[in-house]
Amino acid sequence: MNLLVIGLNHRTAPVEVREQLATIQLSQLLATAALREAVLLSTCNRVEVYGLGDANAAAAIRHFLRDSPHLYELRDRDCVRHLGEVVSGLDSMVLGETEILGQAKTAYLAAQQAGATGIALNRLFQKAFSTGKHIRTNTAIARGSTSVGNVAVDLAQQIFRNLAPCTVMVVGTGEMSEATAKALHSRGAGTIMVCSRSHERAQAVAGQLGGQAISYDDWPARFPAVDIVISATAAPHPIITREKLIPLMKTRHQRPLFLIDIAVPRDIERTCGELENVFLYDIDDLQQIASQNVAAREREIAGARAIIAEHAERFWCWFELNLKQDRTVAPGDVAFSR
Amino acid sequence: MTDRTFIWLTVACYAVAGALTFWRLRGREAHPLNYALMLAGFALQTTFLYWRGQNLQRCPLTNTFETTVFIAWAAVLFYLLIGPAYRVSFLGAFSAPLAVALGLIALLGLNDSPRVTPLSRSAWVDFHAGIAILACGAFGLAFVAGIMYLVQERQLKSRKLSSSFLLLPPIEQLDVINYRLVLLGFIMLTAGMIGGFISYRIVGHWTRPKIVWAVVVWLLYGSLVAARHRWSVRGRRSALISVVLFALVLITFWGLNALR
Repeated sequence: MNLLVIGLNHRTAPVEVREQLATIQLSQLLATAALREAVLLSTCNRVEVYGLGDANAAAAIRHFLRDSPHLYELRDRDCVRHLGEVVSGLDSMVLGETEILGQAKTAYLAAQQAGATGIALNRLFQKAFSTGKHIRTNTAIARGSTSVGNVAVDLAQQIFRNLAPCTVMVVGTGEMSEATAKALHSRGAGTIMVCSRSHERAQAVAGQLGGQAISYDDWPARFPAVDIVISATAAPHPIITREKLIPLMKTRHQRPLFLIDIAVPRDIERTCGELENVFLYDIDDLQQIASQNVAAREREIAGARAIIAEHAERFWCWFELNLKQDRTVAPGDVAFSR
Repeated sequence: MTDRTFIWLTVACYAVAGALTFWRLRGREAHPLNYALMLAGFALQTTFLYWRGQNLQRCPLTNTFETTVFIAWAAVLFYLLIGPAYRVSFLGAFSAPLAVALGLIALLGLNDSPRVTPLSRSAWVDFHAGIAILACGAFGLAFVAGIMYLVQERQLKSRKLSSSFLLLPPIEQLDVINYRLVLLGFIMLTAGMIGGFISYRIVGHWTRPKIVWAVVVWLLYGSLVAARHRWSVRGRRSALISVVLFALVLITFWGLNALR
């Protein structure tokens, strides 16, 4: 009996290939006699079939995956390790991302409900999920944000007790400023004001974020109520200067102010960040933190791999003892479990 | 075994509590054992104060050693009370070094001989001294929150945060905790001073430098409270002032007692 995984992912296959395979259904595979158990894991970055079967199983899965030239195949120990790496986010496009664990759980449950899993894959997946959870809590693989928007949110949470009473002002619209505002909004930022040279644009963005559009000339008047500023205008000169900010901070009673300058050329004078209770980050600062976080995650790979190898070895011992030699037992046979 | 052994054990508990949490600095949470160890240290410290109190038949504030232990005890008391309420991770980790330092200074450097001239026995004397020392405990924890504020501010201003940076509470929260503790300490010190004036009228004697010292401390902390409301002095400035003030309180207190 062989344990194997065959599939393709974002590294081996371009999106054109992956999208062609995105529609395949597990039910098409279940009719195959060579396979005793199977789980189909299909996400936007990967399509993989985990299976337990006889010598013909690999050919059956390859056929099911339309004999794509981008397929990889891993057997036995390697297969166990691979699943561990996948659910831990080691094999993901964004290293350490956590979404994949949920996707793998959904895939496993779907296979289980379809009656496609048995004693081997049940144990394989359940052990992999606990490995993934263990790695997430015991290594820093999923720690620290890796996108500019989320880094800004992390910083906001290091400054403000609670984002709910915070007012966010977006000055100048653009992909990056909208993504940052969206990230703050999704983590509970209370009020969002959007102002742009084009009022229609401001209204459209405000609509998306459940905020209010304000006129570009109004923003200085609204400033005293604001806690977080996301600035991304195309202005050639700084729009917020130290001279302007000093009296504004007085009217705000020196409450903390978080300035996020993602404009190039910059919108906010660098010296504003020297003022007390003002925290200024420009696009380079945010990107630097994001890439530091990526590097920190990369440093955790070896540790995570060691944990996976240990867990995989334990599973493999169990598998060899109970399943490897036996070619007669039917899937899901309870008497076989110990 | 003297009752001072309890203070040695207390110091050991706090030292381990602090070390454990700093050792896990990369974690999101303070070490789960931190609170338990702080609680154990606090229990030992309470036992010491109780025994001393029983032996002296009065509030154990008769010498610098006892008073310093009492200040550390009060600071830990406030930590144990507000730590869980605010869910402030690391407040314990930062309180522990202060409690250890106060314990060691008391054990190694401070006078623990019985008082030669017995103080008059009055409930007011015990009350005013006790509550003034509790106020010092609040100022002590404000000092801890102030240090945390300054560390967190430095991290945020340096713009070099990475995933391994110290996961302190939000800076705004540290500011609020710092201020509330200063306010609490100030209110208690006010009550202690009123008690002091009443006991002065009852027992009829007071040591002049101590009164002047208390009034100066009261005025300084009072100005810090007033400055926040009148001139919006908050954040870095008030954190720094509360740190300097508490250091000053301790140094002048020890100095004053050494002079006598």
